Amino acid sequence: MSELTARPVPVSVSADEVREWLRDRVAAHTGRPVEEIRPDLPLTEYGLDSVYVLGLCAEIEDHYGIEVEPTVMWDNPALDPLAEALVPLITAH
Amino acid sequence: MTATGLGWPSGLPAALDAAIQGSRAADGPFAAARSARLDAREEFPAEACALLDGCGIARAYVPAEFGGAPGGLPELLASLRTVARHDVTVAVAHGKTFLGAVSTWVAGSAEQRRALARRILDEDAVVSWGLTEPGRGSDLLAGRLTATATEAGGRRLDGTKWPVNNATRGELISVLARTSPQGGARGFSLFLVDKNRLAEGSWRPLPKEPTHGIRGADISGIRFDGAEVPAGALTGRVGDGLEIVLKSLQLTRTVCCSLSLGAGEHALRLVHAFAERRALYGTTLLRLPLARRVLGRAAATVALADAASLMAARSAHCLTGEMSVVSALAKAGVPAIVQQTIDELAELLGARGFLTDRHVDGMFQKLERDHRVVAIFDGSTAVNRSALIAQFPLLGRLAHSGAHDAAGLAAAADVSALPALDHGALRLMSRTGCSVVQGLSAAAGRLGGLAAAGAVPQRAHEVAAALAQEVTAVADAVTALGPATRDTPPEAFALARRYELCFAGASATHLLLADPADEARALRLTAALERSLELLRPGHEAPPDAYEPVLTALAEPDASAGAAVTAKELIA
Repeated sequence: MSELTARPVPVSVSADEVREWLRDRVAAHTGRPVEEIRPDLPLTEYGLDSVYVLGLCAEIEDHYGIEVEPTVMWDNPALDPLAEALVPLITAH
Repeated sequence: MTATGLGWPSGLPAALDAAIQGSRAADGPFAAARSARLDAREEFPAEACALLDGCGIARAYVPAEFGGAPGGLPELLASLRTVARHDVTVAVAHGKTFLGAVSTWVAGSAEQRRALARRILDEDAVVSWGLTEPGRGSDLLAGRLTATATEAGGRRLDGTKWPVNNATRGELISVLARTSPQGGARGFSLFLVDKNRLAEGSWRPLPKEPTHGIRGADISGIRFDGAEVPAGALTGRVGDGLEIVLKSLQLTRTVCCSLSLGAGEHALRLVHAFAERRALYGTTLLRLPLARRVLGRAAATVALADAASLMAARSAHCLTGEMSVVSALAKAGVPAIVQQTIDELAELLGARGFLTDRHVDGMFQKLERDHRVVAIFDGSTAVNRSALIAQFPLLGRLAHSGAHDAAGLAAAADVSALPALDHGALRLMSRTGCSVVQGLSAAAGRLGGLAAAGAVPQRAHEVAAALAQEVTAVADAVTALGPATRDTPPEAFALARRYELCFAGASATHLLLADPADEARALRLTAALERSLELLRPGHEAPPDAYEPVLTALAEPDASAGAAVTAKELIA
């Protein structure tokens, strides 16, 4: 199913980069300026409920070409811990 | 089974059909007069449910590896459809046990699964599913029923589940409970509660609610007051409740299509039989062009719903990781097109469709009321469309690229074999989008080759190619819409509806491509394709003779099954 993950895969990535990309996506999902998205607050604060964050997870997989358990979104409700959790998965890929 | 249906060809559905046919005479369990009487009195259809028990319908609720029927979700779909074709209330009343049990198949230990399978198979145990609570709407995380850890290692339940189908009749009830005070996605867990083992006075049933349709069903509730359950009642791990429920709903929502298929077929045959007999202007209603068009369109809609439901049920086995998308497409799409069809058929019946005891014991108005609940329970149409919209960004991109899981799709469309359902492969969101839709363009191309060789109707290829254009248009619109937001614009819901129709039309295309040699089936699927395009393109009408094959097939006796039903018999 490699044809389904079409995006280039970064070789290495920092937690900062991942967090900024996530902030950008959350801003797009919520229609807010990116500066308003705080990485230390749960995404539910921005109206992204438990089902909507699964859509965000689909984008993470698509963008980084990785496979993650969607529940990573629930176990890491804010962007800071989420980015930390994603980095090893992205670099291991 | 009907001669033209696409479902499971043998086994339980055929046995159920034979038994039900044999119980329609006099005042048998499935006699129309009895069904009408119970409905009027809001009485539970106990005799009809006992008949289904006798046929071994419980086997359809249990995975094959634990002694269940071999046909998996497609066989369950066909079984409940066979029941719903005669009485939707009975299908709702009995089928609930699958909903109550499915979380154990998804997340229970081997021992829990074996034990529940035994209860269902050997004792016909009724299992219920308690998710909703008073005043909390569709939000699963709004529940206040708590499960507090006890010193003995079990849990103490406090709170109310309502409204719940079979809450009172069920011996077992699977309960979603808050296990962390702050709640949240990890704050809920699932417990399979055996009411027989609860201390007296620690629970009580809540009264049956009067309802608009399915009036005989046990739509009630249950209240727990310090009800203690053992540690073994926990399904999965603490905090897994929402995940298990969302995965389970992917299967139950797919099975809900059986109710729409049955109701649609029932409506179609009642009205067809009426039109055949009704003398007008020196001919019959059936021969008048407008009535013929309405009936043909209805038959094609049922064929389309049939194709979408079958591909959805087979996807559970063959494209398991895509079920978060597929189940939402089926549960939102199929009840909606069938309800529209029932409404159009009602116009042909006129007052007869409205009177409760004048025409065929008022069966039409009953099924019309019964069917309305399908779009509401187990996740409403709006809830399912929201789940779909949440995955729009990836779905849009993949629909453009045409990338899909080709092996999974081919297996789903090939009805000659069915792999076992791997419950562990269910995912909360799809990584590969929806292969049925994304694979349409390639399938349309292959149909073109077959059409050129005369192996399928030329029109099938033309419509499939037009549908592929619709998929591109929907993908364009989804991309232009941008990411899903909490304040979902109405356009997103309209796009979800179009995506559902693309899925239905694509399902018909793949099924046709997988077995083009069966001519009657090919004509039925071509009519389904025509109907999907009609529903997708406002103002577009299928060619005048597009639905004649499905209409003609309605008047023919069933050749494939022993227990044949013709429209004439149905009304007699």
